[in-house]
Amino acid sequence: MNQTPNSPMSTQTKRLWLFGLFLLLILGLFLLNLALGSVSIPLKDIWGSLIGREGVKESWVYIVQNSRLPRVLTAALAGIALSASGLQMQTMFRNPLADPFILGINSGASLGVAIAILGSGFVGGLFLPALTLRGEFSLVLAASVGAGLVLALILLVGRWVQNPTTLLILGLMFGHATGAIVSILVYFSAPERIQAYSIWSFGSFSGVNWTQLNVMAIVVLVGVGLMALLPKGLNALLLGEDYARTMGLNVGLLRFVVLLSASVLSGAVTAFCGPIGFIGVAVPHIARNLFKTSNHKILIPAIILIGAAVSMAASLIAQLPGSQLVLPINVVTSLFGAPFVVWVVLKRKRGATSFSV
Amino acid sequence: MIADQLNLQLNPGEFVCLVGPNGVGKSTLLRTLTGLQPKLAGEIQLSGRKLESYRPRDLANQVSVVLTSPISVGAMRVDELAAMGRFPFTGLFDRMTEHDWEVVHETLRVVGVDKLSHRYVHTLSDGERQKVMIARALAQEPRLLVLDEPTAYLDLPGRVVVMNLLHNLAHGHDKAVLTSTHDLELALRHADRIWLMDDEGRISQGAPEDLVLNGSFAQAFNRAGVLFDPLSGTFDTQNSGSKSVFLEGQGSELVWTQRALHRAGFTVDEEWIPGSPRVCVRPQEGATTWQLEYAGQTSAFASIYDLLQSL
Repeated sequence: MNQTPNSPMSTQTKRLWLFGLFLLLILGLFLLNLALGSVSIPLKDIWGSLIGREGVKESWVYIVQNSRLPRVLTAALAGIALSASGLQMQTMFRNPLADPFILGINSGASLGVAIAILGSGFVGGLFLPALTLRGEFSLVLAASVGAGLVLALILLVGRWVQNPTTLLILGLMFGHATGAIVSILVYFSAPERIQAYSIWSFGSFSGVNWTQLNVMAIVVLVGVGLMALLPKGLNALLLGEDYARTMGLNVGLLRFVVLLSASVLSGAVTAFCGPIGFIGVAVPHIARNLFKTSNHKILIPAIILIGAAVSMAASLIAQLPGSQLVLPINVVTSLFGAPFVVWVVLKRKRGATSFSV
Repeated sequence: MIADQLNLQLNPGEFVCLVGPNGVGKSTLLRTLTGLQPKLAGEIQLSGRKLESYRPRDLANQVSVVLTSPISVGAMRVDELAAMGRFPFTGLFDRMTEHDWEVVHETLRVVGVDKLSHRYVHTLSDGERQKVMIARALAQEPRLLVLDEPTAYLDLPGRVVVMNLLHNLAHGHDKAVLTSTHDLELALRHADRIWLMDDEGRISQGAPEDLVLNGSFAQAFNRAGVLFDPLSGTFDTQNSGSKSVFLEGQGSELVWTQRALHRAGFTVDEEWIPGSPRVCVRPQEGATTWQLEYAGQTSAFASIYDLLQSL
């Protein structure tokens, strides 16, 4: 960590405690996610179910191995990816409201999925199987293609746009344009197709199978790995691109890697889980407030832990343990997350200043 | 570039102020000199090498900057911010050595903000924050320090402190310091050399006193109604009064009464013209009185304000 030789130990110690606390929290949430759901599995049998030990109910083994374990891992990966992407966007644009989707990655993915689900009515059922099963590969494919195209566009435009704010406005306009196309598709579509599209847009950690999870894990690892190279560059960007340049950094390359990492991360999540809001914008703020720093050497590990924990908590709540109902992830993140962030903001006396990026 | 025919030189141990009216291209010149934007023509040499032949990192070892826009870094401590100045020396992961921290703490001490090193930047005053930004620039251990209007957001004492600091950095630490500023009077007092940029993009350079005496200053800033006074080195509005007044007295009371009369539109005469008002400043223990003789009447006032009211 960025520790001065004579800085007060308490800050450092407090941060270590926080890291430990979140590790414990993640472990606890992991176990609860495996144990709770429509069927409760006793905590003592979780391990048995995980490794498929003799004598543990076969249905439990099946539920844990094929439903709950992939789901909780998906949740953790998505939480990490969204938080990492959101942090980079907030720093690069020096805008506390920036989120992983600010450049229109989710718009591209949404358009892809909308064309796959809704447009299939017009083009003779090209993607018809997509209607029957959520998490079907064609949806992932459609979302990936959409996100990928936007990503390519961003990287291309990012090379010759001088001012990052221009990029921001372009992303915003792109989102509006794709939103309009999606609206047209919705307007002319049959109700059941519209419902299928809405369900996708609510987001879900379920229905990601092991193969897809592997792909997602690799993509997230690459994205987070890229970000892990950038604490110095991101810190420099806090002062603005001009300062970064005069400190000897290659700002063009830095911007390219940030855009690449952030877009790949948010694209992966949108492709596999749908457009999941809130986590990406909230987790960096939670990290800055808890760890009382904007230093990315501390923020990067912090948002990885907090992102995973928040996302796993959302996944747990969405299952409504003990009931047969499942809530959409977006409902949970926003309904439970927004009041939490309001509380975090208001309980700090100097909230306004320390909450800036 | 906006300016043409520039042939300028900067030496170590020299504090140079770039002054000129708004919009003549001071910032553009500074950005070009620091490599932040490409030059349009001409040649810039740094330590005998062409500026564009430097790689960014090498340039960062030679030149560091303090830009005019206020920064907002969120929750960052003063020492962390100053430590960013070590970026050109640290590796990809910014691992700071003992030596790096020594340099950072030394620069914080030189700039006079070592007591603040564990404060958060957003809790500092504008003046303190500007000093921290100067410390960050110094931690880069540059040969040339370039500042774009570092005093813009500061109160008057703060400006004096910063200008004095820059002067000391040039002289005590053998840096070349170049700053643009709108504080002409401070520039005249502190700068070793002035680069004076005028509307037509010409730059005249020289010791501040030379530029005052040869009239360059007055010429560059001449506007309708504003006059540069070579005697005081200050700018005055040109409400040369039609009414004249004779003033006698001494010390600071005399000076400030004179200023007040100027503002009120009076010309202060060298000797008394019969028929015009005559003001006499009488400093006394505890309370100064201003005595006014006019049209055969004599009245006394307890303040300049009261005096002006009756004139």
